[in-house]
Amino acid sequence: MNIYLLQVANGIGIGMLYFLLAVGLSIVFGLLRFVNFSHGAFYLLGAYFSFQLGQMGLSFWWSLLVAPLVIGLFAWIVEKFVLRHIYALPHHFHILFTVGLALVVQEAVISYWGPLGNNISPPDILQGVVMFGDFIFPKYRLFVIAVTAVMALLLWWVLEGTRLGAIVRAGSESTEMVSLLGLNIDRIFSLVFALGAITAGLAGALAAPIRGVDPFMGVEALGIAFVVVVIGGLGSFFGALAGGILVGIVQSLMSTIWSEGAHLMIYVAMAAVMLLRPNGLFGRSS
Amino acid sequence: MKNFVHYRFTLLVIATVLILPLIVSSGTLATEVLIFALAALGCNLLLGYTGLMSFGQGIFLGLGSYATGLSLLHLHVSLLPSLLIAMLVGAIVALAVGWFSIRQRGTYFVMLTLAFAQMFYFLAYTLKDITGGDNGLLNIPRPNLSLLGMTLLPTTTPWQYYSFVAVVFVLMFWLLQRVVDSVLGQTLLAIRENETRAAAVGYNITLFKLAAFVLSGAVTGLAGGLHAMMTGIAPLSNIEYHASESILIMTVIGGTGNLFASVLGAAFYVLIGNWLSSLWPRWLMLLGFLLIAVSLYMHKGLYGLAQSILQRLKRPRADAVEAVNSVASKETH
Repeated sequence: MNIYLLQVANGIGIGMLYFLLAVGLSIVFGLLRFVNFSHGAFYLLGAYFSFQLGQMGLSFWWSLLVAPLVIGLFAWIVEKFVLRHIYALPHHFHILFTVGLALVVQEAVISYWGPLGNNISPPDILQGVVMFGDFIFPKYRLFVIAVTAVMALLLWWVLEGTRLGAIVRAGSESTEMVSLLGLNIDRIFSLVFALGAITAGLAGALAAPIRGVDPFMGVEALGIAFVVVVIGGLGSFFGALAGGILVGIVQSLMSTIWSEGAHLMIYVAMAAVMLLRPNGLFGRSS
Repeated sequence: MKNFVHYRFTLLVIATVLILPLIVSSGTLATEVLIFALAALGCNLLLGYTGLMSFGQGIFLGLGSYATGLSLLHLHVSLLPSLLIAMLVGAIVALAVGWFSIRQRGTYFVMLTLAFAQMFYFLAYTLKDITGGDNGLLNIPRPNLSLLGMTLLPTTTPWQYYSFVAVVFVLMFWLLQRVVDSVLGQTLLAIRENETRAAAVGYNITLFKLAAFVLSGAVTGLAGGLHAMMTGIAPLSNIEYHASESILIMTVIGGTGNLFASVLGAAFYVLIGNWLSSLWPRWLMLLGFLLIAVSLYMHKGLYGLAQSILQRLKRPRADAVEAVNSVASKETH
């Protein structure tokens, strides 16, 4: 029994990471009506920048802060100089552009860091395990849960409690109305796009010590982020949270029952949810 | 003359198939062009004619390879039945994937097809006993084309196999061109242009989209089967995300909404890719930039580019003739 309990706890840890990975994708879609296929590439960059900063002797804590911000800046530049010129085009041109961007990023990563994976060890203070009675849990995973929970609360507060959040929520209903109110919607678009990239980058940096870094982790992450938002419902904060945790627990439990099929079951869970609720758990009808 | 206009694309494809051996020195490479052109045709049918951007084409390519490989290895069927099985598997799975996906529109649809592609990838990866996992299915034989024990066409050398694939390709192209020119094709175009209006007119949109999906799955499955026989293996990479991505990229770079454009796109991707990858292993980065350029400046792909260059070269008088011709050909439909 204990092993299943451990796996559920583990699953929540992975699930929170998946939430962080998917929430940016979801918010960006909510506001910009734009599916970002380079979201996985931002995650990939987050992991590799964090690895690189570690190689350069910077402490893990710094890389956790710096890597996501650099990616946010990169995304902000991309949005400001290119993306905004293609919002008016049909959605498949958005997808093509971001697929192209993801391809460029992935190949750049391979040509700079090589095609093979690397490992990152968590900082000394987060190595080892903590014990609660006979319940053993790795420290680093506990740390990930804490950080992602704080990020979730922070994001929730930004969306629900601040003026920016009110504008973003209003913008996902009607961007025209928001700009008619005299707000600079362009600046908000850039900001939200950068915010989405920062969360993906942070997810990458946090995931790196758990799963290592490799150039193809972006594609895998994109697939999982899609599953999370399909399960939760596009554009929904709580959908991303519920979807992320559900996917995490399914994957984690399956890895004890049938480790080979752990990844497969994520997608089976997605199909099951879709049968019951085609718009996702928290989705509005599109 | 009217007939010539009507069949101009099929004639162009026949010309392409005949010219390819003159400009490409390797039979395998030339065969690869045709196989991926076939896959791109299937993708174009969805994207260009129905407005559905599918990231799941690798599912059908991969399953087609496995189906052909397994039927040749274990059932010991001959050439054509093994390809028919690949088409059938492609069609059936496309029916299932399509049934799930087309209930969603736009971007949701795109995400779903990608999620399904991942699902089938992990399925193939997990079922190692059947698919060979990472190694793929090995030692797939390539039977000769024979009828009642008589060999009609040997497929031993790459160029012999090329000629078989070329015949299959021209046949499929002609068939698909018939489909897009038919009432079905015109209805799909109507759905692409305005789904709500097409529904209001009374078309069962779900059914038409499913039909497009099944057709696309069958054609892509066939491509997968031909590919497995060409290389002698059914690799895991045929069902990977990158296979879906490549097929979509070929289609888009060629140009959507015209079947011959897909032939251009596949030829460009395979030949340029082959040439560039020998110079620089990271050539996919250039492809990424090309994709960015297409999405920003070149919405109709290579075919659109060629068209606009031809338009500029023609004198105004030729323009008038063209306009009259296009009106005349529309009236014959």
